[in-house]
Amino acid sequence: MSWIPFKIGQPKKQIVSKTVERDFEREYDKLQKLEDQTKKLHKDMKKSTEADLGPISTNCYQTKNWTYSASMSKAAVKISADLLSNPLCEQDQAFLDSMTALDTAMRRMDAFNQEKVNQIQKTVVDPLKKYSSVFPSLNMAVKRREQTLQDYKRLQAKVEKYEEKEKTGPVMVKLHQAKEELRPVKDDFEAKNKQLLDEMPKFYQSRIDYFQPSFEALIRAQVVYFTEMYKIFSELTDQIDQAGLTDEQRERETEAKLTELRALSIVADD
Amino acid sequence: MEVPRRLSFPLVLPKPASSARSPLGAAGQTAGSSKDQTGGEKFISEEKTPESGVIVVVEAPPEDGKAARRFSSQDSFSEESSLSEERLEEEARETQRRAEEEEAAAKERAAQRQQLAIQELVESERSYLRLLQLSTVTIRSNLQQQLQPPPAGLDSMFLHIEEVIDVSSRLLSLLDQKQLQSGEPDFLQSLCDSFLSLSSEMEAAYKEYLAHYNHVTEVEKSYKQKEVLWNEVVRVIKAAAPDVNATSLSFFLVMPVQRIARYPLLLQTIQKHTDASHPAYALLEQTAHTSVALNCRINEYKRFREVADKYRKTEMLTIKDKIVRLNTHSIAKKTARLGQQIKHEAGLKPKLVDEEFDALEGFFYVLENGILELLENVEMYLQHLQGFLSCRTEDFDLDMDGEKAPICYKEITTALRQWILPMFEKRMRKLIHQPLCALRDLLVGPRNLIRKRLDKLLDYEVIEGKPNLSYEEQAVANTYRTLNTLLLTELPQFNGLALQMMWSTLGTFSCLHRDLAADMEQLFHSFAQQLPHSSLSPGAFWEWAESSVLEGARRLQHLCRMVEDKLNAPDAQPLSPSSQRRLKQLTDKHGSGKIFQVMSTVVGTRDLDLNLTKGELVAVISEADSRGDRRRWLVDAGGKRGYAAASKLIRYHQPTDDPPPSPHPNLTEDVTARRRHSYSPAGNAPLPMSQPCFQVVGAYDFTARSKHEVSFRAGEPVRILEPHDKRGSPEWSLVEVRGGQRGYVPSNYLAIMPVGAGLPPNPGFFL
Repeated sequence: MSWIPFKIGQPKKQIVSKTVERDFEREYDKLQKLEDQTKKLHKDMKKSTEADLGPISTNCYQTKNWTYSASMSKAAVKISADLLSNPLCEQDQAFLDSMTALDTAMRRMDAFNQEKVNQIQKTVVDPLKKYSSVFPSLNMAVKRREQTLQDYKRLQAKVEKYEEKEKTGPVMVKLHQAKEELRPVKDDFEAKNKQLLDEMPKFYQSRIDYFQPSFEALIRAQVVYFTEMYKIFSELTDQIDQAGLTDEQRERETEAKLTELRALSIVADD
Repeated sequence: MEVPRRLSFPLVLPKPASSARSPLGAAGQTAGSSKDQTGGEKFISEEKTPESGVIVVVEAPPEDGKAARRFSSQDSFSEESSLSEERLEEEARETQRRAEEEEAAAKERAAQRQQLAIQELVESERSYLRLLQLSTVTIRSNLQQQLQPPPAGLDSMFLHIEEVIDVSSRLLSLLDQKQLQSGEPDFLQSLCDSFLSLSSEMEAAYKEYLAHYNHVTEVEKSYKQKEVLWNEVVRVIKAAAPDVNATSLSFFLVMPVQRIARYPLLLQTIQKHTDASHPAYALLEQTAHTSVALNCRINEYKRFREVADKYRKTEMLTIKDKIVRLNTHSIAKKTARLGQQIKHEAGLKPKLVDEEFDALEGFFYVLENGILELLENVEMYLQHLQGFLSCRTEDFDLDMDGEKAPICYKEITTALRQWILPMFEKRMRKLIHQPLCALRDLLVGPRNLIRKRLDKLLDYEVIEGKPNLSYEEQAVANTYRTLNTLLLTELPQFNGLALQMMWSTLGTFSCLHRDLAADMEQLFHSFAQQLPHSSLSPGAFWEWAESSVLEGARRLQHLCRMVEDKLNAPDAQPLSPSSQRRLKQLTDKHGSGKIFQVMSTVVGTRDLDLNLTKGELVAVISEADSRGDRRRWLVDAGGKRGYAAASKLIRYHQPTDDPPPSPHPNLTEDVTARRRHSYSPAGNAPLPMSQPCFQVVGAYDFTARSKHEVSFRAGEPVRILEPHDKRGSPEWSLVEVRGGQRGYVPSNYLAIMPVGAGLPPNPGFFL
């Protein structure tokens, strides 16, 4: 049962018109770019929420060992929590009061942040993830089309080869066979091609309606969060900070205190 | 002291007073210049023994005395020649007059000496200031310019000298302001007033300078070791100050050290020459006391500083250094301390308890801990902020240019990352992180001193009870007391200040967050109003957002399934006739929903498993095997039943439309099998017999290998008798070739082609 090997040649006949091929390339390029961008955005969003609040998967409040300091929010909570547990608070009631206020503020901030991140997760990160999960099957479809196209080309070349030959009995048989083989492949390719050319722009277009709510939600969530944060920290600042100092004044004040400290003999000033 | 014995002083009181300016000025000048010289000598000797500066100063007054003596001796000659004969008569008068004269002269001399002393104080202050300025301005800049590169640590040598110069020049300017002559009685008063008013500033300035002076000598020593450099330095100094015989920098820099010690002496001299009835006497006395106290305090401060300097630094020693440093003394010391500590721990000896100190120490440690923790957390916070900043979330391109929301988001995030957060970070670093770092660095000194105090305490405890102490033991006790006092006085200040700093840092932290939130809120709010759904209330908005996200997800899922089903399905190839038949059979039996296609060839490995080929159709009878394993399905493969792996099966979607039109619609589509290797003419397919438009021909040459087989050539028409062999295998077909020979041939060597396709039909072999 040997099989006579023959070379895969390129068919002379243009089987896919240049315009179609160009359209296809363009649409597919757009999709690939979209895929890259979606993935990138998803990754960045995830990373930034993690830097903001910490890994989403392990909810820090529920685990017994608080994995603090895994994010900005947690580090901020840790600042106040550590201070509150410091024995300094036992010695100074005013200090204790300040630290309690600070800690309450931090925890409230963290809770609001948690809520914000949850909303963003639900309305932005998850949809992004879902959106990027469509690309593999699309890519696979494109790959299949490409395979079919190759088959098609190969069989077309074969048919052409036999058509050029002298029409003897065996050649006729083989030509017939080749044509028989070609037909379903050709149909298959054309169906796939048509469908992809149809689906790709539709899918590309769908991104607008798909992402629109995400971006709006992203902005709205932040508005809510920062409004709350502003309230919390205004209260806290009134409570524990000297009001209305400019940065320069603060710097000068710090510098004055440091100078005072350095003037002490017990402090090494170098 | 000897001067008052010379009685013959003329009554020419007004003369020296009126012409006071010229002779006294001259005397003052000569005194001044001679003093410069003596000063110079003294300073040179001073360099060797800086502590003995006091002695020389005392030598100055006799010089003035000499000048005064010269005046009186001249006058006494004329006095002696004018003695009258009437001695007796005159005697009494004379004695009285003499006594009066004497008294007056004594007063005069005292006044003169007082004036001279005052003069000296003022003049020496002037020349002192001049030399200081010379050294700091001319010599310093010359050294910097002429020596390339400027010697290391030059600036540190002149560190606190500016304050000293300042205080000295202020003292002088205060005196000058009054525009009083040194002879007037008010002058003394104003001198004392000026001195007293400046005493605290003087103390502050000289205190630092003196504490720093050790460093100056060290630096100079280091210069001296480099001969070339030192020669250059000396040359510069000599060129800049040719009038004084200065040969080193410390010639000038030691001056404040001597000067501050000289004030009490000068003031005491004035006091000695001042009558107790002088209006400013009390003030003068107070001033003298102040100057003495000033010196004491400065000394005390210096001592504290020295002790503190010695112990507060962390020594960075390698193990080698430490071993080198070991000696019997240090070992004995350490062992004694350890022994003492063990005795404490074991309760053999009571500890020397200082509750005040312990409280301070405890507070310090708590504070230290708090500061370090805070700093660590702030650093962590900043690190995460960095991480947050590094996420370039605005840097995407979904090609949604026409849409409001993504544009807003991009603009917001850009603003956020470009300026709001960097600004926040900068402020955090500047106002919180840096002060905390500085504070942390300052903790080192007190920590080391507290540790050292414990060591010294242990030493001290051993000798505490002894009635009389050796010199060394005295030193140990002193060190302990100094350290203890130092810590007791300064640690509360330190603690208080550090706590305040920490507190204000937290206030700043809160304030920075408030500012950040304000900025952010404003930014987000302004953009949020531009959004299409900004009018919705929060509840309604979130409902909308979530539902539209869900809707989007649903559509996406739909699309995904469609793509997978349609495009990724195994090539929806037309079925071979046998498969068609199988399909029909299975559909009839099980219904179209149960039909599955085999995705790849399966070889059964377990009991009751089926061997299935790729593309074969089966009907699923049950989606689990008899033990309930859902990975193995019971299938019907057209008669045979058995198990197949569920993962290899895929639902077969029957083409809803008609099979593609074939050139001969009444023929089943592909009589040739789809796969090239299997020629499987269908048994009940319309045979070429009834439709002579098709002809079976040999596709390739075949040579019989046994008598059961038959040879034929490619293109030769054959007639199929049976499409399988005796055992039913479709791989072989029984055919009749030209000439009536019958035999088996491989089925895949045969092909079917339409009769009208140009094959020269064999007239002798019509079917």
